[in-house]
Amino acid sequence: MEQLAYVAYAFYLVLILIGAFAAVRCRNLVRALLGLIMTLFGVAGMYFLMAAPFMALMQILIYVGAVSVLIFFAIMLTRAPAGEAGEEDRKPRPVVRLVLAAFAGLCPAVILAAVLLAKTPQALHLKPELPLARLGQMLTGPYVLAFELISVVLLAAMAGAVVLGFERRKGA
Amino acid sequence: MSPLVLFHLAALVLLAFGLYGLTSRRTLVGMLISVELMLNGAGLALVASARLTPASDELGQLGALLVMGLAAAEATLVLAMVLVAAKRWGTSDSDRLSALRG
Repeated sequence: MEQLAYVAYAFYLVLILIGAFAAVRCRNLVRALLGLIMTLFGVAGMYFLMAAPFMALMQILIYVGAVSVLIFFAIMLTRAPAGEAGEEDRKPRPVVRLVLAAFAGLCPAVILAAVLLAKTPQALHLKPELPLARLGQMLTGPYVLAFELISVVLLAAMAGAVVLGFERRKGA
Repeated sequence: MSPLVLFHLAALVLLAFGLYGLTSRRTLVGMLISVELMLNGAGLALVASARLTPASDELGQLGALLVMGLAAAEATLVLAMVLVAAKRWGTSDSDRLSALRG
């Protein structure tokens, strides 16, 4: 049974790797978005693997359902007048830039991985699954302030987006 | 390697890819996609720590939920900003959007 969990982990990791590679390397932004969605599903699978099904379903609902649709709208609404939607321009990217970007990405990850491997925390067996009612109690009890604040943040973001949209129309 | 380390390594992979994309992408939407990758890595690391260490399980999962909510709010705002930029300058290319004017 434990072997099966490692196989599932490897499968989700491959999903994440292929998806993330497509998300950062594809010239066509629609393909990059598809890569992102693949990664999101891989992460959702990992949530299932660590027995947090609520988090996995929220991941699919919020990220795959809402955020990627928003990004798709952004791709479609910013297309160049002549070119196809979501196509980055054709001029080759300088190699120096790519090397520097790879350095910027790898440096923090390698340092953190070294710290993680050097100070490996005590392995613990999976705790029993957290009942959903308990999460709700925490959210309406001790952490109600965070809950209300995130609501305010969402409302402010929505209002800000609407205001920006109106300003664009008036200036045109 | 313990499952905790494996999950954290997956989160670090997401961080590395996200940073690489954020620094190498030219368009604003491409950068937004990379930021979403990094936020996913953060959520994964949070939930893994909550599930596989003695830390409070509820706190970790609620924290990851808040990260998701913040990601949604950020995506909304960035969408509006990209639209304004594309409307004013006709491009969402971060190399060409370099003028700063009041």
